[in-house]
Amino acid sequence: MGVVYVDNREIEISDDSRLNCIEAARLAGAEIPHYCWHPGLSVVASCRMCLIEAGSRDAETGKISMIPKLVPACQTPAKDGTVIVTESEKVRESRARVEEALLIDHPIDCPICDKAGECLLQDYHFEHGQPERRADIKPFTSRKREMGPTVTLFVDRCVMCSRCVRFTREVSGTAELMVVNRGAKEEIDVFPGHPLANKLSGNVVDLCPVGALGDRDFLYQQRVWFLKREENVCGGCSAGCSIFTEHNQDTVYRLKPRENPQVNSWWICDEGRYGWHHIHDPSRLVDAVRRGEDGETVTEWSDVVGRLREDLAAAVGGGRLAVAVSPMLTVEEAWMLCSVAREIDPRALLAVGWVPVVGEDETFPSGFTIRAEKCPNRVGVEHVVACFDSQLPRWGELLEAIESGNCSAAWITAAYPPAGGKPATQAAAWIDEATAAAFDRLREHDRSCLVVQDLFDSPLAARADWQLPAAGFAERAGSWVNIGQRAHSFAQAIRPPAGVWPEGRLLWNMLGRRGLYDPQAIRREVAAASAALAALADEIPPTGIDLRLRQLAGSP
Amino acid sequence: MGMAKFEPVLMEAVGAAEGHTLESYRSRGGYAALERLLAESQPAEVVEMVKSSGLRGRGGAGFMTGVKWGFLPKDHPGPIYFCVNADESEPGTFNNRFLMEDDPHQVLEGTIISCYATRATTAYIYLRYEYPRSLERLQAAIDEAYAAGYLGGDIKGSGFSLDIYLHRGAAAYICGEETGLIESIEGKRAWPRIKPPFPAIEGVFRKPTVVNNVETVACVAQIARRGVDWFRSIGVPADPENPRDPGSYGPKLYCLSGHVEKPGCYEAPLGITLRELIDDYGGGVWKGRRAKAAIPGGISMGLATEAEFDIPLDFKGPGSVGCMGLGTAAVVVLDETVSIVDYLHNSCRFFAHESCGQCTPCREGTSWSLRILERIRAGKGRLKDLEILLEMGSTMGMMPGSTICGLADGAAWPIKNAITKFRGEFEDYIKRTNPEGWMVTEAVPALEIVGAH
Amino acid sequence: MNSRAFTHLTPEMVAEIEAFAPRYPSRQAVTLPALHVVYERLRHVPFGAVAEIAELLGLAPAEVQDTLSFYQFFPQEKPCGRVRAFVCRSISCSLRGGEELLAGLCDAAGIEPGGTTADGGLTIEPAECLGGCDHAPCLLAAGRLHEKLDPAEAGAVLETLRQAAGPEPSVAG
Repeated sequence: MGVVYVDNREIEISDDSRLNCIEAARLAGAEIPHYCWHPGLSVVASCRMCLIEAGSRDAETGKISMIPKLVPACQTPAKDGTVIVTESEKVRESRARVEEALLIDHPIDCPICDKAGECLLQDYHFEHGQPERRADIKPFTSRKREMGPTVTLFVDRCVMCSRCVRFTREVSGTAELMVVNRGAKEEIDVFPGHPLANKLSGNVVDLCPVGALGDRDFLYQQRVWFLKREENVCGGCSAGCSIFTEHNQDTVYRLKPRENPQVNSWWICDEGRYGWHHIHDPSRLVDAVRRGEDGETVTEWSDVVGRLREDLAAAVGGGRLAVAVSPMLTVEEAWMLCSVAREIDPRALLAVGWVPVVGEDETFPSGFTIRAEKCPNRVGVEHVVACFDSQLPRWGELLEAIESGNCSAAWITAAYPPAGGKPATQAAAWIDEATAAAFDRLREHDRSCLVVQDLFDSPLAARADWQLPAAGFAERAGSWVNIGQRAHSFAQAIRPPAGVWPEGRLLWNMLGRRGLYDPQAIRREVAAASAALAALADEIPPTGIDLRLRQLAGSP
Repeated sequence: MGMAKFEPVLMEAVGAAEGHTLESYRSRGGYAALERLLAESQPAEVVEMVKSSGLRGRGGAGFMTGVKWGFLPKDHPGPIYFCVNADESEPGTFNNRFLMEDDPHQVLEGTIISCYATRATTAYIYLRYEYPRSLERLQAAIDEAYAAGYLGGDIKGSGFSLDIYLHRGAAAYICGEETGLIESIEGKRAWPRIKPPFPAIEGVFRKPTVVNNVETVACVAQIARRGVDWFRSIGVPADPENPRDPGSYGPKLYCLSGHVEKPGCYEAPLGITLRELIDDYGGGVWKGRRAKAAIPGGISMGLATEAEFDIPLDFKGPGSVGCMGLGTAAVVVLDETVSIVDYLHNSCRFFAHESCGQCTPCREGTSWSLRILERIRAGKGRLKDLEILLEMGSTMGMMPGSTICGLADGAAWPIKNAITKFRGEFEDYIKRTNPEGWMVTEAVPALEIVGAH
Repeated sequence: MNSRAFTHLTPEMVAEIEAFAPRYPSRQAVTLPALHVVYERLRHVPFGAVAEIAELLGLAPAEVQDTLSFYQFFPQEKPCGRVRAFVCRSISCSLRGGEELLAGLCDAAGIEPGGTTADGGLTIEPAECLGGCDHAPCLLAAGRLHEKLDPAEAGAVLETLRQAAGPEPSVAG
């Protein structure tokens, strides 16, 4: 163990810690302002905003010797005996000068700049800057330059921190961004014909400390101080990157990565970042529709609870109930679905739903990986289904069962976002006409019932006796388990449109539980019943928990 | 060349016809020292020799050369690289050009000996674009050296192998900064690196590297030939009262230009005074005028007033009158008719043009100071501007810790010296040219506003 | 060795560039020598050539362009004049008429500083210290340092440069 002295506090650090002074100061509650440093990128120490006074304390004599000049906190290691001074007159003056220097040629764009409200230049100006402008007055607005299909550069707002360039060279490995020219005329640019268009492009906007890089998807959509943020998990693939869902009035405006050293470090991929638009697509299913003898009726959700059970119970006399537990559902929803299904039909076939796979896993130079498996909870759903059926049937077996004619009822949960972010049309649905047509065999029984719970219309939904709207990923509460056996839990960020009941709420009520849907209560039941999911009994930290730790430890 | 009070050593071949050939160099005793060292001395002994000589780098920083070599890690598996900094771009400086054009083999022998000492197996001579004749002469000399067996594999049967390559720059001053040079060789933009790690540990291609100036390696060749005692018999000995003073030993090539009768490159011991250089070597101030000031060692060093001309030009003298140091020992004389405002504008324009742009204080400070000088010259200056300039001059630089490299210090010192030592002239100029606005303290409109990018 | 046909880099240029490769342990280090090879032949480095250099060296085009633009030296849109005259404007030359020389030359040639004459023969631009301070003011053109120029005789200097430019291509700068 070692001791680092930050202002008038002492911080303990471990022997093998590799902290710089910014990180060490943070442990002491002191935030050292900085632009160019980022824990996921190489250290360049070029913005000079993090300059502090540093020195060392001799362990034996207690004598403190300070380095006579200011040093960048980002490149100074915090070791045993390091002394850090974050607030002295020298340091304050240095910060004020850096702020002044950056503002000399900065366009007066705040009223029209997206970054207002989360801009480091603004924030540091108020905290550390000088009150009056000394440089010549030169009001102008920034030029704009497209970096690629998703990112815009407001050229003159750039403070040359070079984070974006370093990102494309070190993390995505694609090197599209460059600095051009020299000195005060330097600008960021892309080479003609080689736009910024890699699968991690959007991260440069997160990295930009000012409003130079803008996300075209978000530009001018919402002022950031109206946004609320929920700690969520991306539903785009089995990596399960930690994200913030930023929303206002039940509308998602953008997703941002949430730091998780075990999963995605500081990044998310573009597919995940922009993969929320389908939640607000006007063609989403919003009515619980029953197609029966009396035609098509839109049913009140509270009525769905009883009538759905009745219809299913009536149908399972002649054949089995087949249930597809979608890998888009949470662990809690999967558990409840299986439980309800077995209540209705003790011989119900519980299968893992269709698993979308596109291409191959793709790993970037920094280690960040986009998974080919485009659903967040196949692992979790498998663990749940295995509790009920150790054979662990999958979608293929379910289709076989349907085609065999043994089933008279089916409950297919889906909730898949449209593939490739395309608009949701029948043609783009996750299931095609030919496969959906297999479900016509259900009708060979006297009484049959096909329940489809999905986001969009499809050849299967068109055939359903019960066409139920599903929840989008930001509308769920519960837990997912990623490809690395890591479980995350999250709360509901926004409410679904038109009073739709997410699967969790519907199933909670179908199980006869009282009050509001409580995922944690279900989680405890699941943990008690499943050795694989035993870790869910504990409070799950925001960065998730590795299921294997509890599995190895054995039951409590 | 001026009258030689000092018998030229480094410049002995300058002016001689065909002095640049291998034949001429050998006839003057060249390469004998190299052959002797290869046969009789270990690399570590050669390092000791250079350390004992007290040789300090001639590129501007004046760091003890032998000590710098000593920073290389012992027992490193290699490769170790040696870079000769021939990017000479400090305004007023041209001594490297003389050495490379007129005695390239001296530079080569010094380089080869230095590489033997530091166990470098590849040397790059980073040569500025603007020296085409040096390029020709050096390349021809390198070809002759390979042909004569002084370069290549197993030099003179010693087991030591060395390749020397010329690497041509493209007119950027910052490539003369050690790590800027390294980044440029690696093919990237020449943004100097943060230190640590220092080049001796992680330099070019992340391998141990030593970067030395052309004149420094020429001194190495002469120390090897004539001995440590010879070198230490010239210059200014270390102050016996001050154990931290390494002295200013050896001959120095002084560049003299500007308002003197006989501009030129003169070799003399370290420690002649500024006045001696101007009067005894340079024929005095031109046109019968008096001097107003002089730059003591390349534009970065600032200004010495005429009253300060009796400082010795060694590693301590210029600092004693508030200049940054000896720098490249390139003296530029300003006569009494020169406007200090014009001088400072010229300096600020240079540094704004050459700032690499990576760190905030230098990128913005050099640009801002130029724009202030332009506004002053356009008749819209204020006294307040002098305050702002002085503040920039005292806070921007590697020495206070606010920048990554010393270019900012070079930009700051002329500002500091000019405004401090010639404050009256600045104030008169501003009041005279801006009678309506010299007293304004609030920010004023910039000179050009439309399309202000 | 890359045998694909480039549109800007001729096989000779490729060979000249590749000859530098054994000097360095990294391909990226060949960037600056490659830029010089192209510049010497074409008197500019068009964007297409930048992309080809990048391909040859296994780099992204942005990496090569980044380096190129830093030097503020290589023209890209069109070739510079057959003779490119750099007129020093640093302190020693300024003290002895360097700025007047630049202005005089540009006036006499009918171009702005940095510009090229209509016949494509001559580019005149300011440069920082050329290292010829002992013979200020000086200019660098056609492979040599022209010294002891009289700023008042810009016309005569211009004539020397024009002759150097001639009707035939000569080595630029």
